[in-house]
Amino acid sequence: MTQLRNPAEHHPTTTVRPPDFDAFWTEIMATAERIPLNPTIEPLAWRSTDAVDVFEIGYDSLDGVRIAGWYCIPRQIQPPYPGLLLVPGYISEPTLPKSWARQGYAAVGVAPRGKLRSNRQYNPGYPGLLVDNILDRNTYAYRGFYVDATRALDFLLSRPEVDATRIGVHGSSQGGALTLTTAALRPDAIACGAAGAPYLCGFMDAAALTHSYPYEEINEYLRLYPDREPAVRVTLNYFDGINFAPRIRCPMLIHLGLRDDVCPPETGFAVYDALTCEKVLHTYEGSDHEAGVYWETPRIEAFLAQHLQPAAALVRA
Amino acid sequence: MTAAFDAFWDAVDADLARIPMAADLQPLPLRSTDAATTYSVRLTSIGPYRTFGYYSVPTVPPPVPGLLLTPRYGSVNHIPDYMDRERYAVLQIVHRGQRLADQPFAAAYPGLLTLGIEKPETYIYRSIVADCIRGAEFLLSRPEVDTTRVGVQGDDLALITAARRSGFRAVQVADLLLHRLLDTSQSSDDYPAEEINDFLRAHPQSRPAVRDTLAYFDPIHHAARIVSTTLFATSGDTLEPLRGAIGGPAETYSLSYKGAVDHDWLDSWMAHQLGAQPRSRFRVQV
Repeated sequence: MTQLRNPAEHHPTTTVRPPDFDAFWTEIMATAERIPLNPTIEPLAWRSTDAVDVFEIGYDSLDGVRIAGWYCIPRQIQPPYPGLLLVPGYISEPTLPKSWARQGYAAVGVAPRGKLRSNRQYNPGYPGLLVDNILDRNTYAYRGFYVDATRALDFLLSRPEVDATRIGVHGSSQGGALTLTTAALRPDAIACGAAGAPYLCGFMDAAALTHSYPYEEINEYLRLYPDREPAVRVTLNYFDGINFAPRIRCPMLIHLGLRDDVCPPETGFAVYDALTCEKVLHTYEGSDHEAGVYWETPRIEAFLAQHLQPAAALVRA
Repeated sequence: MTAAFDAFWDAVDADLARIPMAADLQPLPLRSTDAATTYSVRLTSIGPYRTFGYYSVPTVPPPVPGLLLTPRYGSVNHIPDYMDRERYAVLQIVHRGQRLADQPFAAAYPGLLTLGIEKPETYIYRSIVADCIRGAEFLLSRPEVDTTRVGVQGDDLALITAARRSGFRAVQVADLLLHRLLDTSQSSDDYPAEEINDFLRAHPQSRPAVRDTLAYFDPIHHAARIVSTTLFATSGDTLEPLRGAIGGPAETYSLSYKGAVDHDWLDSWMAHQLGAQPRSRFRVQV
């Protein structure tokens, strides 16, 4: 029987939290901690401005994969700066976060494994990443991908100009997912997070609700291999933002489009419900995967400024 | 524009005409459904360079309307939307340098927007436009396509493609990048336009050359050749001069910034132009 969708009121999930979920990730993070970061930072004078210094950075991550990123710091404000980790969407490359640096942040835009400049050792492609090694939680694509984002946090923590008590994380779509997972995997170090239209939450519920990519990759995979659905579910439960949510301790902002075909809003509500930290939810009628960004951007900036206190925001106040 | 402008683009056409397309379609069972068969397609463009595309054909008796999707600015293009694959013979072009067309040339982001920018002959967009035109030639040559009902959708590349190849009934554009790029880059430090500022900080003496090169790729100088019905999805009135320069009927849709509302309106417009049924990506029922 068909029924009209009402995501806010009706958003059940089939995601199950494996009993060894925390142990699984504790072991992975312990493995990562044993790997020296080996950070590099190279100034990019020609991309720097009077207001912002730009650097190309690199560091080592899980499985020895070398990860690239961009790092921008304010030029006209004295350190220490609050840190801001900006995490990218599924098909987008990380942009140089100049505008965030102008607002007073030491900002990193990270390119997790498989993205350009981080794809020499691992390159599953797009489409491809979402289902790469999806039958095995110990080698599934997002095992390393999630860790790569947390290592960008370690990069920020290694910088003398960054105030380690004021580091936030922000992104939308896959960046929204990485905001959640990073805050969950490093609750000791993240002061706040803002996640738009979070992806990788309720994977199988989402795939059942849409034919839009990237979730359509799961539908395509299961059309070819329908007998593998139970194994796929087992893997994805270890990577689901809904299962990471209870580990988050910092304040979180979530914003959703109520007609999002890419990351169905039901899954956004489900992960919001699972958060036990201080939290705020903004929803937008008529919005799809942009999740009301036209109106939400100033609210995100205010939320991050409230918790991270960049000097530029203090000056404006 | 000048005679040099016409000669420049005629030379691109001549370069394309000298090189066989050599289309190679391979079915992609993983990406196909009961409603549509999806293929990878390799096409040779100027250089010569082998470009890529996703081509999908509905499993209904031909002819079917056609839809050309020009590439976005970025390394990845999605496979055409499921709803489009059910209604149109749809080709998503992947230009040289983007993933799946990145051998031997891999584009850098940032970086692509200023590659070879000091001369129109060396600017990467000369080849990128050629890749899009080659895609148009492929789609318009397909026997399953109703060539009286073909649309093109994208950014500046859609406009330039429609200007260089007749045969499109409708053109729909949004998020223009190359139009007034030098001017818009001066009021923002957002990428990709900031790539222009970065380049000019390093090469300030090149500003006149950059301005000259970009003029060849600004769709306003191609607009008079576009005779298709053209729709601009935009906010404000900054595109009015461009809309007024279009050679055929031109309309404007004022964006609401509500993505689903805008998508459904724009989808309906194109469907109406091509004789297809409008579709929403968001299922209202489960």
